[in-house]
Amino acid sequence: MKIILEQLLNGLTIGSFYALIALGYSMVYGVMKLINFAHGDLFALGSYLGYTLLVFGSTYVTATLGIWGGMIAAILIAAIGIGIAGTLIERIAYRPIYSVGRLPAVVSALGASIVIQNGIMVVWGARPQAYPSQVVPSVMLNIGGIKITLLQIIILLISFMLMGLLYYIVQKTTFGAAIRACALDRSTAALMGINIETIIFFIFALGPALGGMAGVMVGMYYRKISFIMGWNYGLKAFTATILGGIGNIPGAMLGGLLLGVLEMMGSAYLSTAYKDVFVFLVLILVLIFRPTGLLGEKVAEKV
Amino acid sequence: MKSTKVLFTCILIFVFSIVSMSVMAADKAPVVIGLQAPITGAAAVEGEMAKQSVEIAAQMINEKGGILGGRMIEIRIADDACQPKAGALAAMKLISQKDIVAAIQSYGSSVTQPGSDIYEKFKKVNIAYGATVTGLTERGLKYFFRTCGRTDTQGAFFANEVLPLFNAKKVAIMHDNQTFSLGLAEDTKTALQPKIDSGEVELVYFDAITPGESDYTVPLTKLRETNPDIFYFTGYFPEAGLIIRQARDIGITAVFVGGDAAINEDFINIAGLEYAAGCYQTQEALIEYFNHPEAMAFKAAYKEKYNTLPSSPWSVYAADALCVLAEAIDKSGSTDSDDIANYLRNEMEEFPSITGPIGFDEIGDRVGTGINLYVVNADGSFGIYGK
Repeated sequence: MKIILEQLLNGLTIGSFYALIALGYSMVYGVMKLINFAHGDLFALGSYLGYTLLVFGSTYVTATLGIWGGMIAAILIAAIGIGIAGTLIERIAYRPIYSVGRLPAVVSALGASIVIQNGIMVVWGARPQAYPSQVVPSVMLNIGGIKITLLQIIILLISFMLMGLLYYIVQKTTFGAAIRACALDRSTAALMGINIETIIFFIFALGPALGGMAGVMVGMYYRKISFIMGWNYGLKAFTATILGGIGNIPGAMLGGLLLGVLEMMGSAYLSTAYKDVFVFLVLILVLIFRPTGLLGEKVAEKV
Repeated sequence: MKSTKVLFTCILIFVFSIVSMSVMAADKAPVVIGLQAPITGAAAVEGEMAKQSVEIAAQMINEKGGILGGRMIEIRIADDACQPKAGALAAMKLISQKDIVAAIQSYGSSVTQPGSDIYEKFKKVNIAYGATVTGLTERGLKYFFRTCGRTDTQGAFFANEVLPLFNAKKVAIMHDNQTFSLGLAEDTKTALQPKIDSGEVELVYFDAITPGESDYTVPLTKLRETNPDIFYFTGYFPEAGLIIRQARDIGITAVFVGGDAAINEDFINIAGLEYAAGCYQTQEALIEYFNHPEAMAFKAAYKEKYNTLPSSPWSVYAADALCVLAEAIDKSGSTDSDDIANYLRNEMEEFPSITGPIGFDEIGDRVGTGINLYVVNADGSFGIYGK
């Protein structure tokens, strides 16, 4: 029982990373009908930005803000930096080719992914880097025999706060209504006086910013970051997006958390080697019975 | 318009003829050796060190006047990203360049295997520097050699030398299902078998993890429940660094021993010194412990250029590979693959190279490489255990 609870918590932690990254995929897909394959690498870039801040500003940052303040500062700076990077990528890689259809944009997204990945390698080097131990809080808690780090709880709290905030913005505000309108039908939304450019800008700033924040938290939690990490997390988060229903924001959150827990349970009770088989088996079953994903709405086929 | 084109063509022809003349004029063309290494990808750090080491070795040979009466050695690099598919492509890329005499390839065993088949088909001598899987040399290849050791000697070392040191009864072995790691794990199991049969040792855990991920708490929790005395991880350093930290965090207290790819500076970085100190590693000889003249010259040249030493033995084995190739080409007086292979196999004996005397046996394995148990000291340096 103790072990199940421990695994569940671990699964939720990794699931909340997936969920944060999945949100970026889902938001961009919802509005643009484009799969932003560079998203995973933006996440990795966020991780490196946070790393740089903590390593080179470590004495200053932790002296003035404390260890937790340093962590929050790194997360915020990564969010801003990656938000800017996301909008830049939209300008450079996607906007010039929107008019020729969606497929070229997907290829361009793959290209952007390769550019960012190798860019990280050129700037920070090919060796894996590690978040230095003095900037990572390491407090071990023992709650009723269950071992959990304080960092893990903070990460879960931050993730759920971010997801709640995003849910509120998209579902409860006028601006969110505009985003949802764009997702439904972009040209009609434009006719209704919604500024599509602003919405796209916002989507490409906010989605990657969430990914960048997840990047810093992954770096804090596992400490090891490498320039190829974006691929693995990107793939898993993309799977989570499909699982929850692409284009649907609560779906991406649910998909991410579920995927994390499934992965943990799969490797705990099946073999570790077959963990991914288990995860994708569940995905296939879900897609057979609910082709739009768990929370995806039925979309009428446009004939 | 037309006249400009004609003029342009004339200039082009002129430039080309000058270039080709100057090439012909250089009376001694360089001897080109290919280096296939993971320049990018997950093991890029090993590729980078291999490139640096081989270039240092080439520089040392060239400074002594080259080979074959004054021909310089030129290194040409192909990146295999430590992926089997890219390894085959890199091999093709090198072979398609006609002036390449022989190749040094590669770090990973699963990458070296498809590459070596291609070199064999096109009759090019290729020397592996990090591919230690036992079976590689036992496929009857004529042009394949290696300057590194084999995993079965390492497995036997773990079973017969390391276990008694810690008085360990319950053994856990974890690998990552890739050629090298699985090979070492299987070889260790084979070497342990007599002890398991006699009941002296119990193998309580033998399972794989998926490389490239960050969270290994689940397999480690399973491992914790088997309560081992000693924990042998045969995979690579990026995973090893995460595993030792997560293992200690969930309360695994077993002695941690890494295979020869598990522990280097990056392992200490990733794990953090407080976790890394006191970890052990079965490892081929590290360059910093060598004192003979060839090693000292290499260390000096490497330090002068890069201000540090290679942190793993493999890149030095790559430099070794270049030294033996240069020697074989020079002594056999030929750049023909059969002559080089013949010299390496039958005539080279105790050739003084960077990691000590080198000779090859019938199947292309290096004769005699030493394996030691290294320990990470409290200050992050490495030492040979018990010395």
